[in-house]
Amino acid sequence: MAGLVALGAMAGRIVRFIEGGDRFVLGQISVAGRGLGMGTGFTAGGLLPASTIERIARVPGTAGVQAQVMLPLDPSTSQFMTLTQELVLGVDLSVPTPNRYYRALAVRTGRFLRPGDRGVAVVGASFAVSHGLFVGSRLTLEKTAYEIVGVLERTLTAPDRFVILSIEDARQQWVAKDPMLRTLLASGAAPMTASDLNTGAAVGWRDGEDPDAVARRIIAEVPNVNVQIPSELSRLLRSSTAFFSALVVGIGALGFVIGGLSLANTVAASVFERIRDFGVKRALGATGFDLGREVLAEALTITLSGGLGGILLALVIGGAVDRYAARTGQELFLFSARLVGGAIVFAVLLGAVAAGYATLRVTRLSPAEAIRRGT
Amino acid sequence: MLRTTGVVKSYRSPAGARLGVLSGIDVQVDRGEVAAIVGASGSGKSTLLNVLGLLERPDAGDVWYDGERVTALGASAQSRARGRFVGFVFQSFLLLSGLTAVENVLLAARYRGGITRRTRDRARQLLAEVGMLERAAHYPTELSGGEQQRVAFCRAVLNDPPLVLADEPTGNLDDANASIILDRLVARARAGTAVVLVTHRHDVADLASVVFRLEGGRLERRDRLAR
Repeated sequence: MAGLVALGAMAGRIVRFIEGGDRFVLGQISVAGRGLGMGTGFTAGGLLPASTIERIARVPGTAGVQAQVMLPLDPSTSQFMTLTQELVLGVDLSVPTPNRYYRALAVRTGRFLRPGDRGVAVVGASFAVSHGLFVGSRLTLEKTAYEIVGVLERTLTAPDRFVILSIEDARQQWVAKDPMLRTLLASGAAPMTASDLNTGAAVGWRDGEDPDAVARRIIAEVPNVNVQIPSELSRLLRSSTAFFSALVVGIGALGFVIGGLSLANTVAASVFERIRDFGVKRALGATGFDLGREVLAEALTITLSGGLGGILLALVIGGAVDRYAARTGQELFLFSARLVGGAIVFAVLLGAVAAGYATLRVTRLSPAEAIRRGT
Repeated sequence: MLRTTGVVKSYRSPAGARLGVLSGIDVQVDRGEVAAIVGASGSGKSTLLNVLGLLERPDAGDVWYDGERVTALGASAQSRARGRFVGFVFQSFLLLSGLTAVENVLLAARYRGGITRRTRDRARQLLAEVGMLERAAHYPTELSGGEQQRVAFCRAVLNDPPLVLADEPTGNLDDANASIILDRLVARARAGTAVVLVTHRHDVADLASVVFRLEGGRLERRDRLAR
C-alpha cells in the first residue's frame, strides 16, 4: 500500500506538472523573434525588438502584449533544455499579464513585483528552498544583488523554479550573461535600445477570439517571428511528456496489481488458514451471512489499518525524500486528498471482494469438510 | 427428538469410485435417551454423526428434529436449526485458539441470539460445574486435553439444546476427565436431552440406554443385554 501510494503520488506530481505547463501554454500565445536565440523558455527564438512587439499589438484579435526576457539561471546548462531548469523571467510590469490562466501568480509570503520595481525579485517556492531564500534575504545574480520581496505559492509546475525580475533588471542580466550580446551592443553595429532586448512576448486575445486563429494571423502579418500556436504547443508538450506519463502509469499499474494481490491474499489467507474455525462456527449455528459479516469486518480492519499504515509510511518516506530533493529545487511527490482517499477506497473495496470470495469458498464446504480440512 | 429415514451417504474416492458408507439408516432417539453408536474404525460412525448433526448432507434420506424435516432446509436454515437443536462435543475439542475458555463457551450464544448478561452468567455457571471457572480466562493452548474437553462440553450445552451429539468425547482423555464428561452427558440426558455418543469403548457404551452397531453401512439396534 505504501508503494502504491508513493507511486500514485509520483504520478500525481508529474501529471500536475504537465497540466500546469499545458494550462500555461493554452493561456497565451508565445512569440519570439526568429532565430536560435538563447535556447530558453518555450519559444527558443531570437531577439524580439520593440517595433515587432508594437506590430503584434496591432494584429486584430490581440489583447495585451507583454514583453518578456527568459534566461537560464545557469547558462552552462541551458543546452540541457528541460522543464525543470531554473530560469530568470523578466516581465514588463507596465502591461497586465495576458495569460488567461495565470493572471497573477499567488504569493505565499511578501508581495509580487509592482511597476517601477528595480533591484528586487520574487522567487518560486522550490527555488526559495533550494537557495535558502526568504523575504528580506538577498540573491546575487551576475554580481548584482536583488532583495527578495516575495516567495510564490507552490504551483508544482515551472514557476516553482523561477526568479522573477522587472524586465529592465532581466535585460541587464542578459547582457551580463552573454558576451556576444555585449560585443554587439558595444560595437554599435546593431541599432538597438534596451527596449529591444526581449526574448519573447506573451500575447493575449480578445474574448470570443480563437487563439489559434489569432496566432496564425500574427504569423501572417508580422515578419521574422516564431509564433507558437497554443493548441499545437499543448500537443507538443503532452507528447514530449507522454513517455514519463506512460512510465509512471505503467509502474503504478504494476504496483496496483502487486499491492492489490498481496492485500487480497492477506485477507483471503486469514480466512483460509482458519477454515477449521469457520467449520466449528457453522456447527454452532453460524450462517454464511454471519461468517461473511465477521470476515468483512475483519477484512475492513486489516485493510483500513494496513491501508492507513501504508499511507502514513508513504507520507513519511515521501516527505523525507522531498525534503532531501528540495535542496536541488525538486519535489517528487504529490499526496493529494484524492490519491489518499482513492487508496483507502481501493484497499477497502479490494479487501471486501477478497473477503467475499474467501467466505464464499469456505461456506460452500460442508461444516464437516471445513473441520476436516482445517484439522 | 431425532429421527432419520433411509439415510444414504457415500464418498468419491481419489480414483473416482464411489464408496458407500451409510446404506439406508433409520434411527430414532428420544429425549432423555443416551444412544451409543459403536462400530469398527472406518465403519462410518463419525459420518453418521455428521449427518445427524447436519454437518454433512446425506445423498438420500432425511433427518428430522422434533418432527421437522431439517434435511429439506436450505444452508442458512440448517445452520439456524443446528444452533437451535444441536450441541456438539468433538473428540479433538475444536476450541478456537484465539478465544479464552469462557469466550469459546459463549461462541455458542453468539449465533443464537447474541451474548447477553444471562448467557455470560450461564457460561460461568457451566464452567464452575465442570471445575473450570478459575481457568475461564485461559486460552486453549494453556489447557490440558481434559480441560479443553470440559470447556467444549460447556459450549455444547450453553444453549440447552434438546440434542447433544458427541463424537468419541473421551477418546483423548484420561479416566478422570473422561468420567467427568460422561457423567455430565448422562446428567443432561436425565434432564431431558437426547444424547448420541459415538464410541468404540464398551465402558462408554455401557452408559447408553440404547446401542446401535454400524457395520457395512447398516445400523443394527442391539439391546444392552444382547451385547
